[in-house]
Amino acid sequence: MQRNLRYITRYASILILFLLFIAVVVSCQKEIKFAPEEQADHNVVLRFKPVVQYDSVEMKFDTVTYKNFFKEPFTVSAFKFYIHGIELINTDSNKTYPVGFKKYFLIDFADTNSLKLKLTVLPYKYNRIAFMLGVDSSDNVSGAQTGALDPAKGMFWEWKTGYVMAKLEGKSPVSSGPANVFQYHIGGFTQAESVIKRITLLFPFGESVDMQPGSTTEINITADAYDWFNSPHDIRITTHSGIMSTGALAQQVAENYSKMFTVVEIIND
Amino acid sequence: MTIRWTIRIVLFLILGTVCVHACKKSDHGGGAPTPLSFVIPSGFPDPAYTFATNPLTEQGFQLGRKLFYDGRLSRDGNFPCASCHQQFAAFATFDHNFSHGFNNQFTTRNAPPLFNVVWQKQTHWDGGILNLEVQPLAPLTAPNEMAEDINNVINKLSQDAGYKQLFKAAYGDETINSQRMLLALTQFVGSLVSADSKYDRVKKGMASFAQDEQMGYTIFQSKCTGCHAEPLFTDNSFRNTGLAADPTINDKGRMRITNNKADSLKFKVPSLRNLYVTFPYGHDGRFSSVNQALEHYNSGVQVSTTVDPLVKNGIPLSTNDKIYLQAFLRTLTDSTFIKNPRFAAPE
Repeated sequence: MQRNLRYITRYASILILFLLFIAVVVSCQKEIKFAPEEQADHNVVLRFKPVVQYDSVEMKFDTVTYKNFFKEPFTVSAFKFYIHGIELINTDSNKTYPVGFKKYFLIDFADTNSLKLKLTVLPYKYNRIAFMLGVDSSDNVSGAQTGALDPAKGMFWEWKTGYVMAKLEGKSPVSSGPANVFQYHIGGFTQAESVIKRITLLFPFGESVDMQPGSTTEINITADAYDWFNSPHDIRITTHSGIMSTGALAQQVAENYSKMFTVVEIIND
Repeated sequence: MTIRWTIRIVLFLILGTVCVHACKKSDHGGGAPTPLSFVIPSGFPDPAYTFATNPLTEQGFQLGRKLFYDGRLSRDGNFPCASCHQQFAAFATFDHNFSHGFNNQFTTRNAPPLFNVVWQKQTHWDGGILNLEVQPLAPLTAPNEMAEDINNVINKLSQDAGYKQLFKAAYGDETINSQRMLLALTQFVGSLVSADSKYDRVKKGMASFAQDEQMGYTIFQSKCTGCHAEPLFTDNSFRNTGLAADPTINDKGRMRITNNKADSLKFKVPSLRNLYVTFPYGHDGRFSSVNQALEHYNSGVQVSTTVDPLVKNGIPLSTNDKIYLQAFLRTLTDSTFIKNPRFAAPE
């Protein structure tokens, strides 16, 4: 009996030591994931391409002269905008799944590295994509930031806190600006001046795309500079060579460009 | 039995020590920065900026201090933050209505003093800046101030081995980016707390007002605290005090930010602390003496649609009132603050 008890004590103490060891080791591994992945994610690659009026022809910076709705000739020297809150949606089931949800992306057509976003999503059948165009109001006022929202990216107003959410710059002989430049810097995050838009884009032909675990879907999206100038609001370069403050005019331009995107192609492998 | 248990305990302790050390992955190389606590002076409200996401450390403060006094933050190297914000002037520009910037240019507004800024919800005369951390970007990039580009500044700092060490000491590694630069500057500027004037000592029962100071204080409380509320001596609101716009500058103040006509000619109510070392006065520095500013309220208010109701009929002040008020306002000078070696240019 005495002997049995001693054995029990000994094994119990060894067991406790072992458990403690495991506990300590596990607690050290902060990166460890207890919850297994639901299943392999599906890879989504978003590609953005700039165009002017014709989705099939890529826009060229500086060298090619385009014409807007009012037949005003212009070249483009900068074209960029912020997106975040990307979601894939299935309208039949009304299900929405976030993709890279918290992250901001600055799509800058002068920087090819920024045009391809590699993301993952829960495997499912989807028939549209949505995202926010702009920077949420709280992120405009949350101080010094880094990554896409780094003010060194040139998309932050220094004298009046807030992000430029979309920028189109270029030259036009009809511009009254210095050296014929026109510059549209569109921002505004307060309720009264908001230019933040939620963009929803149907896949080509409204088709549902079955995104399987582990495979990849490429979604090619065009952004059309032509759309900045008209419908529903007339924005003539002759009248407006510079739009650089928040307010009604900026909101009009944002309404125009909120329809500049088209999903032109989906490659599902 | 005793020996067995001793061995077990020793083994357990060794194991524990090993594991605890294994957990401290980030502590290798250089000590962690030394935390500082931000002390709210007695009687002051909770600050608007709390350092919650920018933990105050000695190393962060010292880095910010070096940046504040470094001309490399400007295009030609001549205009550090401190060129317009001089400590002996409570970090305003002494004896200048407008400060000087890059290429012999003037600014268009009187440089505000920098103290107790963490109690400001918005900074600048027009309140255009909504978070203290991003304020330095405004003077840094303004063509008539420091006239620089953020990326240029980061490049210049990155070429300096000394800065690499300072950034590492403050943040754990040598990465230099705009966020770290701005957070450090905010640690320095946010630490500029002024709350040790004679007025403060009287409030704490450590001193007492002379008779004329007390009379001035009584007048002040009845006629001035509607805007210059104690203990910060500002309510941080934006008001049109009846200053006619200068036609060469045509500064509409707050309206530039809000695009709202109702905000035309409104400017932030400045604190009156350290008043006597920050002259001249007004958003464009048009008053060269406190007496002139007081006389404006007595007789000079220009009535316009947005003029503040509290001043639209003027604030009647007799000659004696003005003398007593000035005696009181002199008690707001914090000589400890303007001489504090901790806020001076680093060696």
